Amino acid sequence: MSQAPVRVSPLIKLGRWSLLLVGIAYGAAHQSRLSKKEEKVREIELQQKVVRDAKLAEEKKRASEAEARALAELSKPRA
Amino acid sequence: MASVASKGSGLINRLLVQARPQLDVFMKYAKVELTPPTPADIPAIRQSIGNIMKGAKTGAYKNLSVREAWLNTLVTAEVLFWFYIGECIGKRQLVGYKV
Repeated sequence: MSQAPVRVSPLIKLGRWSLLLVGIAYGAAHQSRLSKKEEKVREIELQQKVVRDAKLAEEKKRASEAEARALAELSKPRA
Repeated sequence: MASVASKGSGLINRLLVQARPQLDVFMKYAKVELTPPTPADIPAIRQSIGNIMKGAKTGAYKNLSVREAWLNTLVTAEVLFWFYIGECIGKRQLVGYKV
C-alpha cells in the first residue's frame, strides 16, 4: 500500500519555498504598514474625541438649563 | 488539579502513541517531497526553466493534451498558494490583518 515518495521537480520545490518565504516577508511588511496607519488614525480619533466630548457636554448643559428655565416658568405662581 | 494535569498528560501521551504511525508516514513522504531545494538542484532548476522558455518560444505548449495542461495549471496554482500560507504566517493571523 505504501508508495514510494514522488520525486518532486526541483523547480516546483524552489517555487514553493521561495513563494513561502516571500509570503512571510510580504505578510510581515504589510502587517507593520497597516498597524502604523491604524496607529495614526487612532491618534486622530483620540484628539477628535476630546473635542466631541466637550461639545456634547456643553450641549447637554445648555439643554438642562433650558429645561430648568422652562420648569421655573411653568411653576411660577400666576399673578 | 494534579489529577486533571496527569489525566491531560496521559491523554496527550495516548494521542502521540496513536498518531505515531500516521506521523511516521507523513515524515517519510515529507522528507523527500517537502524538503527545500539544495544547491545541487540548481542545474535541474535551470534546465526546467529553459524547457519552459523553449516551450513558450516554439509554441510547444500548444501541443499539450488538455489533461496535461490542466495538471500543469493545478500544480502552478498549488505552488502559488504557498505564498498565501506564507502571508498568513507573516501577518500572524488566519483571516485578515489584526491592527
